[in-house]
Amino acid sequence: MNPFRFFHWQVLRYIAQHRLLSLLNILSVAVGVAVFLAIQLANGSARQAFTATIDIVAGKSQLQISAPGNDLPDELFPTVQKMPGITAATPLVRGLVTLPDFPGEYLDLLGIDVFSNAPFRTFELTNFSANAFNLTQWLGAGDVIAVTESFAARHNLHRGSSLRTQVNGHEHTVRVGFVMNGSLLHEGDARFAAMDIGWAQELLGMRNVLSSIQLQIDPTSDRERVMQHLRAIMPADTEVGAPAQRSEQVDKMLASFQLNLTAMSLVSLFVGAFLIFNTISASVVRRRREIGILRSLGVSGTQIGTIFLTEAMMAAVIGTLFGLVFGNILARSLIGAVSETISSLYVLVSVHHVATNWASYVGAAALGCVSALVAALGPARMAALMSPVAALHPEIASEKDDTISWFWLTLAGAAVAAAAICSVFAVRTGPAWLGFLAALFCLGSASGLAPFVVTGLLRAIRFALRGRLAAEIAALNLRRSLGRNSVTIAALASAVAMAVGVGVMIFSFRQTVNRWVDQILVADLFVTPASNEIAGPSSFLPGDVIGFFRSHPAVAAVDTFREIELPFRGDRIVLAAIRAEGPRNFVFLQNHEGELMRRFRTERCVIISESFARRYHLHAGEPLEIATPTGKVALPILAIFYDYTRDQGVVFMSEENFVRLFQDDRIHSIGVYLKAGANPETVSNDFRKHINGQGEFAIYANRALRARVFEVFDQTFAVTYVLRVIAVAVAISGIFLSFMTLIIERSRTLGVMRALGTSAKQIRSIVVWESILVGLASSVLGVVSGLALSLILTFVVNRAFFGWTIQMQLPWSMLALTPLWILACAIFAALVPAARAGRLNLAAALRSE
Amino acid sequence: MKICLALITWAMSSACGQDWRSAIPGWQYQFPRDHHHHPEFKIEWWYFTGNLFDQTGRRFGFELTFFREGVIPPSQRMPGRSRFIVDDLKFAHFTITDANARRFQFIQKTNRGTFAEAGFDRGGNIAWIENWSLKLNSAGEFRLSATTGKANLELTMVPESAPVIHGTDGVSVKGSGENHASHYYSFPRLMTQGAIQTAGHPFNVTGLSWFDHEWATNQLAPNQVGWNWLCVQFANRTELMLYQMRLDNGTIDPASSGTFIDSNGKATHLTSQNFAMTPVARWKSEKTGADYPVEWRIEIPSRELTFTVRPILRDQELALAPLTYWEGAIDAIGNVRENEIRGAGYLELTGYAGSLGEPTR
Repeated sequence: MNPFRFFHWQVLRYIAQHRLLSLLNILSVAVGVAVFLAIQLANGSARQAFTATIDIVAGKSQLQISAPGNDLPDELFPTVQKMPGITAATPLVRGLVTLPDFPGEYLDLLGIDVFSNAPFRTFELTNFSANAFNLTQWLGAGDVIAVTESFAARHNLHRGSSLRTQVNGHEHTVRVGFVMNGSLLHEGDARFAAMDIGWAQELLGMRNVLSSIQLQIDPTSDRERVMQHLRAIMPADTEVGAPAQRSEQVDKMLASFQLNLTAMSLVSLFVGAFLIFNTISASVVRRRREIGILRSLGVSGTQIGTIFLTEAMMAAVIGTLFGLVFGNILARSLIGAVSETISSLYVLVSVHHVATNWASYVGAAALGCVSALVAALGPARMAALMSPVAALHPEIASEKDDTISWFWLTLAGAAVAAAAICSVFAVRTGPAWLGFLAALFCLGSASGLAPFVVTGLLRAIRFALRGRLAAEIAALNLRRSLGRNSVTIAALASAVAMAVGVGVMIFSFRQTVNRWVDQILVADLFVTPASNEIAGPSSFLPGDVIGFFRSHPAVAAVDTFREIELPFRGDRIVLAAIRAEGPRNFVFLQNHEGELMRRFRTERCVIISESFARRYHLHAGEPLEIATPTGKVALPILAIFYDYTRDQGVVFMSEENFVRLFQDDRIHSIGVYLKAGANPETVSNDFRKHINGQGEFAIYANRALRARVFEVFDQTFAVTYVLRVIAVAVAISGIFLSFMTLIIERSRTLGVMRALGTSAKQIRSIVVWESILVGLASSVLGVVSGLALSLILTFVVNRAFFGWTIQMQLPWSMLALTPLWILACAIFAALVPAARAGRLNLAAALRSE
Repeated sequence: MKICLALITWAMSSACGQDWRSAIPGWQYQFPRDHHHHPEFKIEWWYFTGNLFDQTGRRFGFELTFFREGVIPPSQRMPGRSRFIVDDLKFAHFTITDANARRFQFIQKTNRGTFAEAGFDRGGNIAWIENWSLKLNSAGEFRLSATTGKANLELTMVPESAPVIHGTDGVSVKGSGENHASHYYSFPRLMTQGAIQTAGHPFNVTGLSWFDHEWATNQLAPNQVGWNWLCVQFANRTELMLYQMRLDNGTIDPASSGTFIDSNGKATHLTSQNFAMTPVARWKSEKTGADYPVEWRIEIPSRELTFTVRPILRDQELALAPLTYWEGAIDAIGNVRENEIRGAGYLELTGYAGSLGEPTR
């Protein structure tokens, strides 16, 4: 037989006859591919934006000296410049300024030395109109900055436009005098501005210090030796390394976050694969007769199998193509949420456009096709192995479906065991991704258990609904095609389990954070320079602000807070210095809060967060060696405390210790405790009067800050919510699809029932009942396995990736509501098929009798 | 009359004129005070050029110039600010012309002087950028030093006469209109000896150098596009300096002038009516495409002096960013009162590789 004709008849014609089914298949693959691709693109874009930022800042430098926490004394520069092996050196000052006229906007201001940075620069500076550079204006006018063309265009800025900026709580007006041009600036979305280094030092309050020194080295000299020489003369808290090192650090920091998103995005694909399995199985069942005839005519089993694989591949390829397009569109809407989360939790990054990463497209396409192919393998094999006799006598075949395969039970048991083993290893030894494997096994075991749950449930229901004819017939019908209904149920149950598991995990997490916040956010007012709101801790509070609150009659105590980054075992860690005058408490793992707090205030020690301890395998009592400008210092770890602010963890020391070790008493924010009965509103109004417009500060009352904490929390999980909804939507479309096929398949049986006097209404009722039963079975299985999944997410995945202890809490209302909305969806999904069944053409349905 | 004039037009776009002092008539020159910098003026330079010979007669030309361009007027400089803020921009040009090897080398250095690696002071160091320096000792001798990877120079210069003040009443007028002038003096004949090194070979050299020191604020008029300048030391111990300011309409500014110094060191101011400069041959740069009039016929009827200048090497172009110009050693040959006269000197041609004012237009 001409293979082309064969293909046309067996595949294309079939697809043309079952447009809706094919469309749903295509859609399910498309959604899976789109979600996966969107997450990959959003992650990739964030990464690329950050790398572009590094490239713009570091330019063509081969080595970089920076002090992540403290700034470098600028007097080191000439020494570095003259070191053997160094061919070029340029100093750099960098800071963030916020723009009150454009709320939420900031500029990453680079203070550059145009004389020494020529060999490094990756952008050109020009005056607006001419292709020229007015050096005198650049050097002489202390208020002139260069902005990127896109920034100028976005905010309609021209040469000479004024721009209000805020740094360290103070406002400065600068003028736009120059534009920065360069391909990297277009590539990244970084909001850069540049200024002469001297004036930038003044504007940013960085007189006599540098952010970094960029270096080029003589290609003939030994790079390691040069680095060693540099380290020898630099303060201990400086980092000497390739600029790309920072990119690696950030990659490492974001790895868990991005992997989590990827894992979530795979769930849609997982559900999609179930649907493909379902449709192809249905197609095989429906075309038994055809298979029988073809086999009788001498078509080989392999050829039969190929028909079904081709059918799946058609859906996969078309679905994948759509998925790639949708994915790109979806990425655009996800990118904002992803970059905001990364900025609020990890590192400031600004992503506006989706970076084209062909590997992601290829990966998503491959995943879409392969998952469909794998899903279709089972049913295709079944078709290929079908004997012509069995195929031509469907009754024999469907009876077979009725028996429960012990194979599935064994598989489910194995999956449970595998999930348990993976969980133990993920937490105890790592690698952390075993946690996801455990989650996958958990979902797998639920799928394996589906036939048992359905059988059990149907028995119970038949018992409960005795006398309701429609319900009993529906239950019987379901049992008759248990194998394939189990797949439908497993698909929906997986989606429900995902929704429930993630929901329970987030709920528990939120509750845990809530209790923790109750204990640590106890001050009445929190004050920080407004720019820190947007750009993270980058601006310092002027001394008179602290003085104002300390001397205010309604104030009982003032806590100060400062954080810096430090190099530590090749990473950058956060060290926070706190003066805890007020009743703020850390929540320690070891209890004894009062005693530990007293020792924290008075002793030379640090306390570390739980995530930090897990990440670096540290325990209370051990020494922690940290780099300070005056050398490395080992401080004993007094205790470990619960903290949910950052998954990389944090080290705290008392302000007193910090000032002594770092010779730096600047602070980022304060917490103000009021005397009993004092009104926070009055005190903040007094403060506003005191500053009288001389600077911008964010003042939060306790409740407002809590609200902000949860705003960030919810934002962090925003993408997760979206993925959850998509997975469930795919699953519901699956129910719809299953019912459509069920009705078509059973048209003969339904026709007989009509002929025997069953009314159209009764037929409709039977179909709706079937759907309710599927919904019920899926809900039960989904909620139960969702709870198991939530255990894995909470105690394995979260712990292995982020090192957090989360107290499990059950959202009862959600758990109760889930079956209800699943049932509602199931009924809704059955409406069209039921109507169809009611309108059945009796003559056609009974033709074969 | 030097290259730094170009910067004046730049400065006009940003600096407020009243922040800087203008060159106005009546300046009382005092030495050694005026050898040092004048920070209240926006532009200043110390310009050394010379023709040197080794024992075998091998000939070299050199230029070493230190420029100062005021960025922030002294009244606005605040102590205790960031050391990276540039009050004065420091840059320098260094060239060596090796006539025998027909090689011309030029290097520019720019430095913000944050860590005193470049600057100006009132002691023995007049100006320096890294390892290029101009020093003055108590005996009144100048010491000039420059080291690069490829060419070095170490010279001691003894003035043979008192400094010559150009122009009239202490100002050298550069253009029509108010304040287009500078304070300008020269040592036209410095006995020079020392060592230079080029292409890896050291040479002990002796010869004659010319030193110009000029400071001003906004001497260039907006319609001026460049200038031709030359200095010649004649064998009869007379010297000559001439400059022509070229206007954008192709004519010469009537404010152009010069100075003739007789063998007793007496200077005579020459107005544009007193001399004629006629180009006789041109050289086109392959690098920049600029077409320079490198040979000139000069006539000073009042002195009965007529001579031709010719470069010892045609390619003495400093193709530098942001400004390209030609500055090179020349020979002069001609007649004074029908007697043959010979000399050597330097010629400077600016504004041929684009107008000097262009960056701001």
